[in-house]
Amino acid sequence: MNDRPEAQHVVSRLMRESLMDKTLIAGTEAPVRAILPHLNVIQIGGLSIMDRGHTAVLPLLDEIVANQDKHTQVVGVGPGVRARHILSVGLDLGLPTGALATLAAKSSAQNAYMVSCLLASHGFVYLEAPFIVQLLPAMLAASRGAVFNGIPPYDLWEHPPALGKIPPHGSDAGSYLVGEVFGARSIILLKDVDGLYTADPKTDPDARFIPEIGVAELMRLQLDTLPIEPVVLELLARAKLATSVRIVNGLKAGNLTRALAGEPVGTLIRA
Amino acid sequence: MPEDVSDAVLSELGRKLVAGSLSDAAIQRATAATPDYAILPWVNVVKIGGQSIMDRGRSAVGPVVDEIVANLKRHKMILGTGAGTRARHVYSLAIDLGLPIGVLTVLGTAVAWQNAQMLQYLLAQHGIAFLEPESFPSLPHYLMERGAVICQGMPPYKLWEANPSVGRIPPQRTDTGCFLIAEVFGARKMIYVKDEDGLYTADPKKDVRAAHIPRISVQELLARDLDDLVVERAVLELMLTARNIKEIQFVNGLKPGQLTAALDGEPVGTIIFNADGTGA
Repeated sequence: MNDRPEAQHVVSRLMRESLMDKTLIAGTEAPVRAILPHLNVIQIGGLSIMDRGHTAVLPLLDEIVANQDKHTQVVGVGPGVRARHILSVGLDLGLPTGALATLAAKSSAQNAYMVSCLLASHGFVYLEAPFIVQLLPAMLAASRGAVFNGIPPYDLWEHPPALGKIPPHGSDAGSYLVGEVFGARSIILLKDVDGLYTADPKTDPDARFIPEIGVAELMRLQLDTLPIEPVVLELLARAKLATSVRIVNGLKAGNLTRALAGEPVGTLIRA
Repeated sequence: MPEDVSDAVLSELGRKLVAGSLSDAAIQRATAATPDYAILPWVNVVKIGGQSIMDRGRSAVGPVVDEIVANLKRHKMILGTGAGTRARHVYSLAIDLGLPIGVLTVLGTAVAWQNAQMLQYLLAQHGIAFLEPESFPSLPHYLMERGAVICQGMPPYKLWEANPSVGRIPPQRTDTGCFLIAEVFGARKMIYVKDEDGLYTADPKKDVRAAHIPRISVQELLARDLDDLVVERAVLELMLTARNIKEIQFVNGLKPGQLTAALDGEPVGTIIFNADGTGA
């Protein structure tokens, strides 16, 4: 034996083992419990919905309120054009990805706060990340709804991406992760397109609409333009509970209601 | 249509960013050509291991604290703490209760936080402050005034931690959190203080034939696909895309002088470097 000071251990199954050991990691597989199985995560796009102003936003919020009695909804909001602008200025100044992520998250915080003001009379409040951790169940019990910042709280700790410097985890990723951790019933991303097509329908007359697709097949297709952050596909592939995401056109009245009712509107991406 | 931002104030890249898709490869490539400004190029990020140092108590932590104090006037340090054995217990319990990865991350963060608090009590008389992620804008001030600050090492992902491909342990823990602090600030060094002299061909705690590796590229280390590693796998993957941090160093905190040597730029312990000098 050597004279090294011994660590004081707490007895557990993982005691003394390296948490980097592949066998140990594989041995931790076990079922996960859904914490909020009735939750629906609804993401309002920044560029696609919010930046269009009241003509796009107000009908959607009316639809959210109309569904308040039937469905528990937590509403994530994306950042939009102001994030693009600050990314541009920040990149020009030479700022790193983590700094850009922190800056961009403030733009979606503004949008989320505006949405919460418009829903305030129905009891929806805007919850920052620490309050999502602690207060969400109480807020849902009180009003069956709340609003959060779509961008995840990675801030300075955002990953440097494989290519370039744009923060890879945007509001699609953040909304997906909220759905996954709570074991949500559905994750609905509201955009300004009907869903996925085999090609850009604006330029290619042969473009076909895709009502439902698996994540592996979608990655194989290597579509040029994807109306969802690519990192969401990677997250979906590792899903424990939230095994699908639905992309829906939020500019068309009734789509959100249909999606909440479980109808096959838009495109469903399956894990 | 969305309201436009005036083109006049934007660069060509800015116009593309406002109009285009952020997942467009051409736009991403264009952002890679922008300058890299190092925010704190003189700071050293030093991670103090949880199980490897903190859990051993005074006999291990005392000498490390002494060495940190001796270096306060010579090197600026962000001191991040690991979690350790209480995290293993709470992960084990939470997995048994069926709780998801994000909840495990919240729980593990509390353990790293406890270790950071204890370290801060030991360094308090030297004027060293503990900062939460929300207080990081004050960090340069403390570094200039006192030479070091303490933070807990976990990234602040909370419930937003992503699932690993296998198992239920949060893949991005304190090694990763400290690495990302070093990366975002463009730090001078990323030093991990653990209880081994660095990397070995096998686990020296279990295999007497294990040979020490003084220097290895991250590419080679990943290609070896070892069953066990000295560092979280996420750190190795992030090294491939990091723009600022091109090498990380592992020293033995149980051997006095190794941390100082690493801070002075000596090749003690093990250095893992990115063989692709161009980066992402």
